[in-house]
Amino acid sequence: MSAASAPASAPLGAQHVQRLQAARAAVLAQVRKAIVGQDRVVDDVLTSFFAGGHCLITGVPGLAKTLLIASLGQALALSFKRIQFTPDLMPSDIVGYEVLKEEGGKRKLVFVEGPIFSNIVLADEINRTPPKTQAALLEAMQERQVTSGGVTRPLVEPFFVLATQNPIEQEGTYPLPLAQQDRFMYSLVIGYPTKDEELAILDRTTSETKSAIESALSAEQLLEAQRVVRALPVSSAVARYAVRLAAASRPKHATAPDFIRQFVSIGASLRGSQYLVLAARARAALEGRLAPSVDDVKAVALPVLRHRIVPNFKADAAKIGSEQLVEKLLKAVEPPRSGL
Amino acid sequence: MGDEATLKDIARFRADMERELAPVLISQGRALEQTLCAVLAGGHVLLTGGAATAKGLLVLCLARAARLDFKRVQFTPDLMPSDITGTDILEEDAATGRRAQRFVPGPVFTNILMADEINRTPPKTQASLLEAMQEKQVTTGGSTRPLPKPFLVMATKTSVETDGTYALPEAQQDRFMLNVEMIEIDEDKEVEVVMTDPAARAAGIQQVVDAESLLRFQAAVRRITLPPAVRRMIVDLACSTRPGTPDATAEVTKYVAWGAGVRATQCLALCAKARAALGGRASATAEDVASIAPSALRHRIGLNFRAESDGVDIDALVARLIAHALTGTSAKPVATAGAST
Repeated sequence: MSAASAPASAPLGAQHVQRLQAARAAVLAQVRKAIVGQDRVVDDVLTSFFAGGHCLITGVPGLAKTLLIASLGQALALSFKRIQFTPDLMPSDIVGYEVLKEEGGKRKLVFVEGPIFSNIVLADEINRTPPKTQAALLEAMQERQVTSGGVTRPLVEPFFVLATQNPIEQEGTYPLPLAQQDRFMYSLVIGYPTKDEELAILDRTTSETKSAIESALSAEQLLEAQRVVRALPVSSAVARYAVRLAAASRPKHATAPDFIRQFVSIGASLRGSQYLVLAARARAALEGRLAPSVDDVKAVALPVLRHRIVPNFKADAAKIGSEQLVEKLLKAVEPPRSGL
Repeated sequence: MGDEATLKDIARFRADMERELAPVLISQGRALEQTLCAVLAGGHVLLTGGAATAKGLLVLCLARAARLDFKRVQFTPDLMPSDITGTDILEEDAATGRRAQRFVPGPVFTNILMADEINRTPPKTQASLLEAMQEKQVTTGGSTRPLPKPFLVMATKTSVETDGTYALPEAQQDRFMLNVEMIEIDEDKEVEVVMTDPAARAAGIQQVVDAESLLRFQAAVRRITLPPAVRRMIVDLACSTRPGTPDATAEVTKYVAWGAGVRATQCLALCAKARAALGGRASATAEDVASIAPSALRHRIGLNFRAESDGVDIDALVARLIAHALTGTSAKPVATAGAST
C-alpha cells in the first residue's frame, strides 16, 4: 500500500518487487470480499493489469464476469465502464461524438467522451458487433488514443480492455480476426464454479450482508508498478525459451514438432514471444522475485498462447483444442541449458 | 427486529393483491404469484405467452395496485436508446435569450416500466434498457443519473410473429429474474371473459402498496431463512442443467447447448425466499424452489438442434429436472440402479 515510487534511473532492488507482492495480496484481499472462487481468472486478470496488457475472456453468460472485473476495478481505484456490443453499435458509441453547445451566446462544438475514456473497459460480447466497430475499439487499444472530428485525444492511463466472447456458436456473430485477437495479451476461459463455491455465492449474494470493497492501490501506484515490471531484467536463457516456444508453434517453422505440423494452421506471432516474456516478468514481480524464470514462462504460456495457436480442421475433427496443443508444446520444447 | 410484523404485512399485501387482481386476471393466479415473487425479490420480469393472454393486463393491474410511478414504452423497430433513457435539449430562456442544455428524462425514470414487445426493437435499444435494469442508473451525454427506487421492468415478448423481430441474446435474457409464461385459458373461462369483459374492471383496482412498504418487503425477503437442504437442492438443480458436467442428467447432455449460470442459482434462492414470505413463512422450502423453478430456468437453458428435431419441449425438460432435484433432497440414498450420466 505504500507509495511505490522507484526513481526511474535507480536499479531495481528487492524492495520494489516486495512492494508489488504486498500490493497483489492487498488487492486480492479486497476482491475476495465480492468474488467467490475463480482464483485462476482473478490472478490472471491481475497479472495482465500489472503487465499493462488486455484480456480476452471466454465464458457462458451468468458467471458474474462483470462483477469480477468491476470488483478488481474498485480494488485498484480505477474507473470502470461496460459496453454491451450489439450488431447496431457504431464507433461513435464507443469513442464519443461532438455536439453543438451554446455558452455565453456563442455556439461551439463540444466533444462528449464515449465509454472508452475509462481505465477499465469491459467490451461485453465483442463478437456481436460488426468489424468497423470492433476495429474502433482495437485501434484505441493499440494506440491508446482516439481520433474523432479531426482531433486526437489521449485515453486515460492506465487503460485496460477486457473483451468477452460467448463460447456458444451462434448465427449473426462476427468472429474477431486473428490479427485483432493477437492484440490481447491474455486469453482466459471462465468456467462454472464448483458446487461449494456456488453455495458460498448463494449465501453471500442472497442475504443482507454486503461488504464494500476498498481500494488497495492508486492508479499512480499501478502505473509505477507497471514500470517496475517492464524494467525487470530477463536472462537470455529465459528469453530464448520464450522465443523457441513461440517458434515451435508455427507449423512451417523448422523446429515445429510433428503434432504442430499436423494440427495447427497458424502459430504464435512475434507478439506471442513478447507477451510470454512480459507476462513472466509480471508473474515474477508479483511473487516478489527479481528474476523471471523458465517456470514463469511455462506458467503464463496457456493464457498467452491459447488464442494465438489456431487449430486446423484436422484438429477439429480429432477434437483437439488449442489448450491441448499448448500443453503438448510445453512438454516438447526443451528449455535452454545455459543460465538459470 | 420487527420481521414478524413485516411478514404479516407481506401476507396481507398478497391477500390484498389477490383480492384486487383476481377478478380481472382470469385463470392467471400462478402468473400473478410468480410476478409478485420477482417484485419482492427485486428482479425484473419477462412475460411471454400467445396473443391476448393478458400479459399487458397483468402489468397494468400491478401498476394500478401499487402507489408507484408507471410508464409504458411500446418497443418498435425505429425506437432509439434516447427514446428510453432521455435526451439533452437546447432550451432558450425567453427573458435573457440565453440558451442552455437541459436533460429531459426518458420513460426509464420511473418505478415500474412496461417494455411492451421488447423483441421488436433493434439490439442497441434493447441493450440500453437492459443496462439500465442491471445498473439501476443511466448514462447519457457523459453524465450518469440514478434511477428511482424501486425500479422494476416488466417486459413482454411476442412469440406469435417472429418476422421483423430481434431475438434477445441469451446473455440479455439472463438479466430477467423470471420468465413468467402466461397460460392459455380453457373454454369455460373464455366464455366467462367474453361475457363479462373482466379487463374493464381494472379501472376499479384499489392501491394496496406504496414504494416505502415495497422496499421494506424486499429487505425482509433477504432475511428469510434458507435451510441447508434447500440451498443444496437449488445448487443441485442449477448444476443439473449444465451439459457435459458431472451433475448433468443424460438428457441434458444430449439436448442442451448451454445451461443456467450462477445468476439462476441466485434467482432461485431469492424467489424461493420471496414465495415463503408471501406465504407468511420465515423459512423457504424445497416446494418453494420447485414452484418458482420453471420461470427461473425456462429462459436460461438453450436447447440444441437435436432437441429441436426430436421435439423436446423446454418446459417438460425443466419439469423433469425439478423432479430429479426433489428426489435428491427428500430421500438422499436413492441408490437407483444404473445411475446414468
